[in-house]
Amino acid sequence: MYGLDAISAHNGWQLAALGTSIVFAGLIILFLAISQIHKILEFWDKRDTYYQSIKKLVHRKHRSEATFSDPVLPKNVKGSVRQFKLLIEQIGEPFPLPKLLDFSEKCGFPHSHSSVNDLLKAKLIIPDGKGYFLWNQEVEKNIKI
Amino acid sequence: MVDLLIEFLSNTGFALAGYQNIIMILVGIVLIYLGIAKSYEPFLLIPIGFGILMGNIPVIRDFGLGIYEKGSFLNYMYFGVMHDIYPPLIFLGVGALTDFSAMLARPSLMLLGAAAQIGIFATFLGALALGFAPNEAASIGIIGGADGPTAIFLTAVLAPRLIGPIAIAAYSYMALVPVIQPPIMRLLTSRKERLIRMEDPREVSKREKLIFPIVGFLLCCFIAPGALPLLGMLFFGNLLKESIVAERLARAARTSIIDSVTILLGIAVGASTQGDVFLTGKSMGIFILGASAFAVATAGGVLFAKFMNLFLRQKINPLIGAAGVSAVPNSARVVQIVGQKEDPTNFLLMHAMAPNISGVIGSAIAAAILWSFLGG
Repeated sequence: MYGLDAISAHNGWQLAALGTSIVFAGLIILFLAISQIHKILEFWDKRDTYYQSIKKLVHRKHRSEATFSDPVLPKNVKGSVRQFKLLIEQIGEPFPLPKLLDFSEKCGFPHSHSSVNDLLKAKLIIPDGKGYFLWNQEVEKNIKI
Repeated sequence: MVDLLIEFLSNTGFALAGYQNIIMILVGIVLIYLGIAKSYEPFLLIPIGFGILMGNIPVIRDFGLGIYEKGSFLNYMYFGVMHDIYPPLIFLGVGALTDFSAMLARPSLMLLGAAAQIGIFATFLGALALGFAPNEAASIGIIGGADGPTAIFLTAVLAPRLIGPIAIAAYSYMALVPVIQPPIMRLLTSRKERLIRMEDPREVSKREKLIFPIVGFLLCCFIAPGALPLLGMLFFGNLLKESIVAERLARAARTSIIDSVTILLGIAVGASTQGDVFLTGKSMGIFILGASAFAVATAGGVLFAKFMNLFLRQKINPLIGAAGVSAVPNSARVVQIVGQKEDPTNFLLMHAMAPNISGVIGSAIAAAILWSFLGG
């Protein structure tokens, strides 16, 4: 038997099509696998960095959740939040804490030291890391005044 | 005394020689000439050529000399061919010699190696059409893989009587790759395509090169378990090379082991090439189909590269598709030469090594598939 009849008689078309497909499929799978090796190795090398950043993200979430759900402010200090905010707007940010205390005393705010202390504890006043302080608007939004 | 002399003379090669022995001896001499004078695959053609001489010396039957007589020296050497021992050992050396960086840097080029294996299945269909039995057709088709050990590996299992002509065809055409490929490459590509420059491949880390042989071996052998002997040794050899700590073993694999096995394989394959198989119309068919296998494989790789370019922003130079024909590193060198004829500053060799090497893997998988289909 010769020609196309011989091919059909021996299932040649099916064998050739299937064989070609399997070779392609095999090399495609290998291509996909090895194209990921260097990415996996990169991820493995930077795993500490990723772990730290995930940890920070979770920690920040917990802290902001605590702030949102439970801002600790005595009743008498709640009233002075607006006053201190206006004063800080006058002084400008970032501001040195002694200047805030000085101005608050001159403006006649009652118990200015303990009020500032409470505002610091409630994180309405936060350090900027350079020796000065800032007003924390994020926390202020969640406090009912 | 005279009787003894007559008996002795009647047992000499001069008395026993037929025209087939003479023609095969001339074939052997031609192969040795091609190997030495022309440097056509000398590592294989010289042993095969001399093996043909050894195997076609006319000897008395049952004297324990012929390659097919149990217990003969040639028969013991032939054992490694018949039981598929030599090809995997050669692949061990190939793995220890191969640097997979080019392929790891741009894995998408592996698909060009896959496309070139179309030559195997197209030739398989052509062989069936010419009246060869399916197992013979598969053995002829694997010539299109352009991989000598793989061709011998599969033929030893499916059609051992054709090992001689198939091995000679495979290695001869591998040597003729610089003649066969360039016209096809130029025919199927435009000048603009041949001038495409490819961006430099990324740096591949040592760890990637260490992980790849293990991942590659597991994936390939899970997909095509029949490739276990060939790809197992290929990836093992590569792991020895990349591990550095086993450099002594890698050195042995790529020098003494591969060289010793090549000698044994060549002699055995050559000696098994007898006139009654080689000097037939079948052999002529094998040689014609072998040439077409290489041509179709080259065309398959180049055309697939052009197809890939339809979807890629970073275009591939389609010439490197021809390197999917896994005659390592000859076909990659041909790509470099053809590319440089258009633009002497365009260096395609490293890019071409990726499909070249993946072609080795692809042809081993194709052999495993054909074995699983037809080996029962």
